[in-house]
Amino acid sequence: MSKNRAEKGFNPKAAAFGFMKWFTLLFFLAIAILPFLWLVVNSFRTNLELETAPFGFPARLSFENYRNAAVTADLARLLLNSVIVAAGSVILNLVIASMAGFILSREKFRGRDAIFTIVTAGVLIPIISFMVPYFWMVTTFGLYDKLVSLIFTYAAINIPVSVSLITTFMRAIPKELEEAATIDGCGFNQRFAKIIFPLSRSGLATAGTFCFIYAWNEFVMAMLFTSSVKSRTIQLGIRFFTSQFITDNTGMFAAIVLSIIPSVLVYVILHDKIISGLTAGAVKG
Amino acid sequence: MTKKKGANHPWIIVYMLPLAVFFTAFFIFPLVFNVSTSMMKWKGGGEMTWNNFANYGKLFQDDTFLLSMKNNVIWALSQGFIQIPLATIVALILARNPRGWKLMRTIYFLPNVISTVAIAKVWTALYNPQFGVINGILKSLGLGGARNWLGDMSTALPAIILMTVIYIGYFMIIILASIMNIPKELYEAAEIDGATKMQQEFRITIPMIRGTLATAITLAMAYGMRHFETTYLMTGGGPAYSTSTMGIALYLKMDALRYGEASAAGIILILLGTLVIVAIRRALGKSDPMTEAAQ
Repeated sequence: MSKNRAEKGFNPKAAAFGFMKWFTLLFFLAIAILPFLWLVVNSFRTNLELETAPFGFPARLSFENYRNAAVTADLARLLLNSVIVAAGSVILNLVIASMAGFILSREKFRGRDAIFTIVTAGVLIPIISFMVPYFWMVTTFGLYDKLVSLIFTYAAINIPVSVSLITTFMRAIPKELEEAATIDGCGFNQRFAKIIFPLSRSGLATAGTFCFIYAWNEFVMAMLFTSSVKSRTIQLGIRFFTSQFITDNTGMFAAIVLSIIPSVLVYVILHDKIISGLTAGAVKG
Repeated sequence: MTKKKGANHPWIIVYMLPLAVFFTAFFIFPLVFNVSTSMMKWKGGGEMTWNNFANYGKLFQDDTFLLSMKNNVIWALSQGFIQIPLATIVALILARNPRGWKLMRTIYFLPNVISTVAIAKVWTALYNPQFGVINGILKSLGLGGARNWLGDMSTALPAIILMTVIYIGYFMIIILASIMNIPKELYEAAEIDGATKMQQEFRITIPMIRGTLATAITLAMAYGMRHFETTYLMTGGGPAYSTSTMGIALYLKMDALRYGEASAAGIILILLGTLVIVAIRRALGKSDPMTEAAQ
């Protein structure tokens, strides 16, 4: 809209509005960035430096906190566990949601719309209210303290979001493509594997990104389902920093920085997909 | 049904099967399980015996659970009526496409991809009475001495709520998208009629995005009702249960092996959450909450 309003000469009211506008924008930018900047800066400082001058910069660039975090918390193991869990749940989630999305967007049968509505309404359920049944299921089926329990759970929790996104995406693929392929002798499975699945890559990427961020960041179920280091994810590992003998704040900061990098990296690369996924109105929970 | 569809029928079942299995196992079964065990005496590993509504009775006589419910209401109200107005203001500004609005939109959403654990730990440090930045800023502005924000019963709940309502990215993006869908002609016509920018926002934008705002408020409040993680990580519900929520109460009951009561807490959480969604939709608009929120 009128971009050169400001150049029309000085108007005190407009200037006040302009100031308020930029103050608001910058305030929320500061909220979004400064706490994490503070975290990164202090991850290079010693605990003594932090406690005596919380605002300062490190006296010298030292990676000691990162080394300590890696050794005391077995960070490599925790990160590997998180990678396995996130990758496993994204793959499982996309297999389930793309197969169902194919049917829900392509085939007509009784109850199809009801199934879609019920599944997508799953976002309305507060998952934390399922702590008791999930814990019972995990222990009863012998999956306690095993990464697979987290893979299944995260993949399942993201089903409503993924089914909604992927089905909506697949609906937009023109039917003519498949009709042509059917005439050429393509069967049901080939229509899925050779046409719809490849054409849905963009929708699958959006759904997969949401699932990855969820799985990478999840804490409650990880706390509930695992107990030993062998199946501990990075989020849980950060928490265990504070329950050790000495409160090593800057060491914990280093671990947090490492835990943030993958999700921030994914966001930097795929932020367009994430934002379009949100604004499609498809993901509201 | 045509012949072709009939031929495909077995494949439909095969393709829907994984969804059916996982959705049943992780959504439908837990709901049924939760309802059943909420009416049982159950200490975890041991025997389950029916005790009808005794667990609910216990919860409603438990002062800490009642306090948790009250805190959830405070959470819901502040998410719906502080966070959403803030998000709306920023969205209104960004919708006028100031310089760098796309980059700002991307940055505002950034905290939403960072784990709650990381955010909670950073803010615990910022609120720290010894080396916390919040006290540092207040001191340099000459505003009072050091406070133990999270350790003091009177400040812990507001402190945690404050740091969550200012992360507006998620709802701001949804509201912004809705504003950008408004036909530009409406503003052009208003401009010709001499309406100021402010009048345009109040007479055109806000009424046009009413439905989105209602959805955003509803969802924000529903999230407030199910709040758990940030508080659990920052205070564990303390000091003296002053920051407890229903989710935390549920977890603590489970931890104390009172599974029946924990299940009942879960059912109350689901019912109140649903009630909020239905009630707010009733108050703010007529459309169906299920399809709106889950479309």
